[in-house]
This record gives sequence, C-alpha cells and structure tokens, in this order.
Amino acid sequence: MYVFYNRSMSTPILATKLFVPSPRPKAVPRPRLIERLNKGLHGKLTLISAPAGFGKTTLVSEWLAASHTGAVAWLSLDEGDSDLARFLAYLVAALQTIAANLGAGVLSALHSPQPPPTGALLTALLNEIANISDDFILVLDDYHAIDATAVDQALAFLLEHLPSQMHLVITTREDPHLPLTRLRARAQMTELRATDLCFTPAEAAVFLNQVMALDLSAEEVAALEKRTEGWVAALQLAALSLQGRADVARFVKAFAGDNRYIVDYLVEEVLQRQPESVRSFLLQTSILNRLSGPLCNAVTGQNDGTALLDALERGNLFVVPLDDRRYWFRYHRLFADVLAAHVLQEQPAQVPILHQRASAWCADNGLPAAAIRHALAAQDFVRAAGLVELAWPAMDGHFQSATWLGWVRAIPDELVRARPVLSLAYARALLNSGDLEAAEARLRDAERWMETLAAGSERPQAPVTKMIVVDVAQFRTLPASIATARAYQTLARGDVSGSVKYSQRALDLLPEEDHLRRGPAAALLALAHWANGDLEAAYQALAAAMVNFQKIGALHFAISGTYGLGDIRIAQGRLREAVKTYTQTLQLALAQGKPLLRGTADLYLGLSELYREQGDEDAAIHNLLHSEELGEQAGLSDWRYRFCRVQARFKATQDDLAGALDLLDEAERRYRRSPVPDVRPLAAMKTRVWVAQGRLSEAQRWVQERGLSVDDALSYLREFEHITLARVLMTEYSRNHADRAIREAVHLLDRLQQAAEAGGRMGSVIEIALLQALAHQAQGELAPALVALQRALTLAEPEGYVRIFVDEGSPMAALLREAMKQGAAPNYVRRLLAAFGQAEGRTPTTQLLSEPLSERELEVLRLLGTELNGPEIARKLMVSLNTMRTHTKNIYTKLGVNNRQAAARRADELDLL
Amino acid sequence: MSETHALTEGQYEPGLYAIRIKGHLHNRWTGWFEGMTVTREDNGDTLLTGPVADQAVLHGLMKKVRDLGLPLISVVPIEPE
Repeated sequence: MYVFYNRSMSTPILATKLFVPSPRPKAVPRPRLIERLNKGLHGKLTLISAPAGFGKTTLVSEWLAASHTGAVAWLSLDEGDSDLARFLAYLVAALQTIAANLGAGVLSALHSPQPPPTGALLTALLNEIANISDDFILVLDDYHAIDATAVDQALAFLLEHLPSQMHLVITTREDPHLPLTRLRARAQMTELRATDLCFTPAEAAVFLNQVMALDLSAEEVAALEKRTEGWVAALQLAALSLQGRADVARFVKAFAGDNRYIVDYLVEEVLQRQPESVRSFLLQTSILNRLSGPLCNAVTGQNDGTALLDALERGNLFVVPLDDRRYWFRYHRLFADVLAAHVLQEQPAQVPILHQRASAWCADNGLPAAAIRHALAAQDFVRAAGLVELAWPAMDGHFQSATWLGWVRAIPDELVRARPVLSLAYARALLNSGDLEAAEARLRDAERWMETLAAGSERPQAPVTKMIVVDVAQFRTLPASIATARAYQTLARGDVSGSVKYSQRALDLLPEEDHLRRGPAAALLALAHWANGDLEAAYQALAAAMVNFQKIGALHFAISGTYGLGDIRIAQGRLREAVKTYTQTLQLALAQGKPLLRGTADLYLGLSELYREQGDEDAAIHNLLHSEELGEQAGLSDWRYRFCRVQARFKATQDDLAGALDLLDEAERRYRRSPVPDVRPLAAMKTRVWVAQGRLSEAQRWVQERGLSVDDALSYLREFEHITLARVLMTEYSRNHADRAIREAVHLLDRLQQAAEAGGRMGSVIEIALLQALAHQAQGELAPALVALQRALTLAEPEGYVRIFVDEGSPMAALLREAMKQGAAPNYVRRLLAAFGQAEGRTPTTQLLSEPLSERELEVLRLLGTELNGPEIARKLMVSLNTMRTHTKNIYTKLGVNNRQAAARRADELDLL
Repeated sequence: MSETHALTEGQYEPGLYAIRIKGHLHNRWTGWFEGMTVTREDNGDTLLTGPVADQAVLHGLMKKVRDLGLPLISVVPIEPE
C-alpha cells in the first residue's frame, strides 16, 4: 500500500514521505564529506544548508547507505507540514518506523479539536525517545518548506532536550530558525554548506567521465566546472545535454560563453533532445507533487505514464522514486519549477485543466486532500466546494477540523453559502474551535435553506442562487444536525432552556436506531438538565447517552462523559458512588489496552480529587501524578484546564496559596466556552484563595464586579459564587466585626441551605452547614454552632468527607473538639481531628536554608545523588521530564549551585537528606 | 539601510520593486514571478521589476528566487517618479 492509515486511525500518513531514498547506483564518492558526517554524530545536529540542487538529499542517503549501520527515521517535509499538528503527526510516524509503538499517546492527544500544549506533548515524546535502546538518526529533509514559528520552536525544544541516543540531520535551502549560534558555540552541530557540497574539479571529473561516461578532456571538464561553479544540479543537466552528442567541444564552448541562468539554458537543451511525447509528458506532469503512472495518465490523457516514469528514472531525468515498488515518484524540485515555468509560458490556459484532471483522479483514488489542493489550484471552486463538503465527516472524525477550516476559507463565500451541508460543517468546525460568534452566520445560512425548502411552493419567488447539495446522506439528516449544533451553541452561551428545545428537536427528528447522531443530542440534553440543577435527571440522561455510545463502540465518547457523572454525584454529596463510577469506567478503559483511550487521564484526575476529599492523601497524590504522567496524551481536550484546577486545590492544602493562584491563572488561560456547565467558576475559586490570603479588598472587588448580593435569586449555576460571597462576608466580620456583614452572611447561608436541600445538592448542604457553624461560633453562639456542625457530620460521615472540614482550619478544629466533648459521632470526629493533626504536623524539619526545600524537592535531591539520569529520575518519581527539570532548577536555586555534583555535595554539607 | 528606508512608510501598500539576480533569465519567468518584467542587463544580471502588493508577496518572490538557486544581488524599492 502506498497510502496507509496509522494505527490510531487519525491523520492519514503518506508513507512516501517517510521513505529513506535509496542511493543512486552510480555516484561520485565523497569521502571528505562522509567523514565529516560520521564525526558529526557526536553532536546533536547535522545541518546541511545549501541552495536547491546541491545534492543535499543524495549525500545524506549515500552516507546512510554506505557507512551507517544504525536505525534511521526519515521525514520529507512539504509546505503542508507548517501545520504543527501535522508536523508532529508525521514526526511520530517517522519515529514509529524504528520503534513501532512510540508516541502513540502523543498522536491521539494531537487529534483533538484543542490539541494540548506543545511543550507537554514534546516532553512526553522525549521521554519515550529516551527509552529507545539503540542510537538512531532522524533526518528532516527539505526543512525550508516549513514556514511556521510554532514548528521551529517545537524543533528547538526537541534539540534542547535531545536524548543522547538520537541525532538530528536537517537538510534545507535556508538556515532554520534554531539557536544555531549556541549550538555552534557548544560544538554540538556539524555544518555542511554550499561551498562544502560543490563538486571540486576532481569530483566534477569523476562525475562527468566515470559516472556519466562522457570522456571529456581536462579542459572541457574545467570549463564546465568553472561555468557551473561546482553546482551539482547544473553539472548533471550539462551531462544530460552532452550524452550522445557528437559536437561536445562546441557545446562546452557555447555553454561556457553564455551568461544565461544555467538551469534555463540546460533544461532547454535537455528538453530539445527529448522526443515530443516525452517533452510534453514532462511539461504536463510538472504540476504534480507526486507522480504515479495512473495519475500521469489521467493528467496527460495518454496511457504510457508508468513506462515513461520508468524511462525517466533510468535516463537520470530528475525523477526520484518515493517507495520501494517504484510506484510513486517526484521530480527534483528545481527541475519541476523550471518545467512548470515552461508550461505557464507556453500553455497558460492548459494549466487549470491539468489541475482539474489531477483533482478528479485524486478524488477517485482516495486522496481527498490532494484532490482539494488541485481543485483550488485550478481555481475550480465549485469542484473544491463539493470535495470539501464530502471531506467533512472523515476530517471531523479524525479531529482535523483545523485543516478543514483552511480549505473552506479558500472558497469564495457565495459558493459556501449556497451549500447548506457545507455551511453547517463550517459552523461545526467553528464551534469546535470555540468561535461561537463566527459559527452563528454559518448556522443561519444552513437554516435559511431549510426554511426556504419548508416554505416550498408557497413562495414562488425563489432565491437568486440555487441550493447545492453534494453530500446527500448528510443532507437527509441536516435539520437534526442543525438542531444539535444549535443546542451546543446555545448551551455554551448559557441559554439552558433554548438548548433543551434544540436537543429535543434533534431527538424528535432522528430515528431511534441512529445512535451515532442521537448520542450528541442526548448528551447535550443531559448537560442542560445539569446546568438547570436537575441533577438526578441529568445523571440518568448522561448515563443513558454513555451506554448508547458504548453500544455502538464509541467508547471514547462514553469515557468522556464520566467526568460529568462524577461531578454530578459530588454535587449530590455521594462521594462513594462517584468513586465507584470512576473506578468502573477506569477498568473499562484500561481493558482496551494501549494506546490508552483519551479520557483515561481525566479518570485518574477525578479519582484524585475524590481521594483528596476523603483524606486519603497517598491515593490522591498517586492518582494525580498518574494523571499528569498520562497527561495530554490520554486526556480530553480540556484535561490540562481541569488538571490545573485540581492541582490548585492541592497547592492550597499545602499552604502554597501563591502557587494555587498561578495554577488558577493558567486554568483561566486554557478555559474555552463549551456546553459543560461551569458550576465552579475560576474567578470564584480565585476569590476563595484571596480570602485565605486575607486579601479582602480584592475579594470584595470580585463581589462588586459580579454584582452579587445576599438577596439575589438563587440558582445552581450561581451557588458556588453565592457561597463564596458568604465567605467574603464572614471574613469581613472577622476583620472589623461589622454586624451587618455577619447578619447578611447568616441570612444568605440560610437561603442557600434551603435551595441546596430542595435541589438535592447534599455536597453543598454540608459546606453551607459548616459555614453556618463557623458563623455562629464567630459570634460566640456555641449551641447553634454545634447544631449546624452536627447536621454536617451526619451527612458527611457515611461518605467519608475529610478535607471539607480540615480546609476550614483551626476554628473548625476547635468546634470539632467541642462536639467531641458532647459525644457527637466520636469515631468520625476523632478521625477528622487526627487529619487536622497531620496537617499541622507536616511542617518540614528545620533546614539551614533561607528557602527550605519541599518534600518533593528533597526526594528529587536524593535521586540526584544517584547514578540515574534525568529521564530515569522522572520515571521513578512518575512525573514528566519537564516537571523534574523544574524541580531540579528550583533545587539548584535554593542551594545556590548549578550542577548535580555540587547539589549532592551541598546536600551533604547541610545534612539535608 | 537606505534601501529599506522607503519601506518604513506604507509597507502594507503596493509598491514597485526591482530584484537583481545574477545570470540572464528567460522571458518565460514573467508568469512564474507574478507578472514581473524580466530585463536582462549587459553585465549578465537580470532585473525583475514590477508592482508588489505587500511584504508578504515580496517574501514569496524571494522564496522563488531561493528555490531556483538564483544568486540574489539586491532588492530595491523603486520610488515612483
């Protein structure tokens, strides 16, 4: 197969791009260059930077074939690889040619509508590369095709942290945007440039007389070498022009005395010497990036494509095989450019026709991306629009809506708007990218067509444009698909009742057996119930939607809903059931084996949050680290956002409030609107941290900005904010004993209590009861305080809540001791008080440092004293390489050292371990 | 830097440019270089002159020069007379 889909069924990978070019059967030996390449393997990077036609690729493939025995991964880049996601997908695919399972998780993480941050992906990839046992070389060929800072940065990051077994080779026509100066200064890079690659007079002689068997005199060789300045492509063209020529001397003389652009001159010579059939074949097929016999036949209208490609390869006419079967070829790009310029000048009208033929063949042969590219090049936008419409379901399924958006944006708007199916797909791609506003116009376009159709004959004045539908299957369910997209958009905008209507309409329109389309509508309906505070209805609906997804084998959808189920149960105060839900789904996910399904990291995260609440700190941290390790590879698209939120709570528990705020800020940057109800808004979470820090004025400003008051109408979606408001008021009271503040707080808490009870949100009821207890206590009213506390204890004990008490700090401990005296839930209260004790006793032993090392840092420091290398330490601690590096950096700063040995020495001196 | 002076104003607007390269180019490259006029000079250089819509187009032209392995001598904006 010349096209295969890699195992994760995502970005289609063209195997030809990963093909290590075979060396030419006859070549000029270049020992001086081979030796430098071999020596360069000690460094990180070999950069081969020279203009087109200097034999860069040939040199590398000859070097690898002749003297390199280790593994090689090859990636030929083209303009499309400027898309970072695609670049990384190909990078992983190339690496998989030497380590089959490498980066599978990275790939699946990439194929989400919101790919995770590159740094995390690359770290995960580096960790896996560090596990490869043997040294290997990765070649990035034609890196100049990349025009994207994001890709440059990713590559710079890889180079910076390159594991020692990997060596990178880059060939390019322009110097890449990498820290070359630094690499040079550290002698980590070997460079071969134009002056190195030029044929020396001796090499030119070998090439012309031995490889090309031309039998030229020394003067003739010298004249050619001088005229071409050793430019390999030019010498090659010159040799082709000379083959079988009687008047060699005259040709050399004429060529040497001419100052035309060498390639112009020589290509013309070469073309003139070809039979007309070959000449026209070369010109017509020059528009193709990749050539195969059948594709060439489609473009030329002849049937000699395969034979001609074969002949061109044998005749050394600048075709390069792209696979072992010699099915796909490409022209040397310099040659192709010159040919294309010929076509453009000689038959300009022909060019779009050639592109159209190529587009048709590619469409018929399962190469939709190439078909679309040729249709756009032909400016045949009607054709392109049809192809783009048909490509949507597969691109959406492969999480490639970003690439798809690039195509649809190249099509004139009036053509898009005449196509309801295309318009809806456009809207959905925009919704995926979080652009709810831009999606609106596209949704309206699709809806207008449906309305026009519904009005039918009643409205004789038909619209000016005609409706066009290419994907008939999608069109049949279009009204339901529009309704689902609307349900998504309205819910993301916070219009719950509107969203319910749309989901319901979608479900009414879809037949019972269309599980794939009913699933999203049903899930959106469940989310709307949730946002409304109908927790039990939401839970049942979401669980039913997940079972349906599971039935049709869409397990990743099923898993992705678990976080919702868990959150709903937490709101209901049913921690044990939440743990059960997560655990069961986790077993289901792990049973699928590797690569882990997306959403698995989120399951660990959910468990971590629950174990933390239940006071099982070891299990909580274990699950948190596990989630971080799987991280972006096996997480949903908003995993990092959730991870930051959860981690912030751990930081707060450890009294690192500034660290908690940093994490909440990061979460804020990663937040994007989606239909999942935002029941614990980040701004309110931040306000709670400010309250803990005593930053009352900032907290009060938040209250004002949100326009919160104790007499607001209460709703589930604002409950977290209102409880936060009560906390702000209580802090105000403790600060300045303003009676108004505490009266308002108590009033609000009473109302919240009733609302939460009515809504079955027992998790909230516990928190509110604890705050009521603290409010009474603050006013010196012990008896009512204990009544409220008792209520909380009764609800909390069966579910094993711990942190909800402990996080309230010493006033709560005092209250619990009072409760203990009165004999309330003695075992449970004793457990809670013990947890307070642990929290207090955890302050680190005195260190002789101005800034003491954390537990984690001490652990890292201990391992830095061993023989383990960086990646090994990271694995041992179950953290990413990046996290490990951050710890190391912090340790160095705190110890005032700058390397491992010094750190170990200092640890000894200070008796830290 | 005098050559870039003219660019500081109106760099997002169309302007005339002259791209000087070494070697004589055939007229056929006019289409390839977005309609630039090809003028061959006696010293063996070629001047590509014509309107350039904006900096992005100019950089695109530079890339074409690079991809043909043409030695680039200068790029100069031409002041309208």
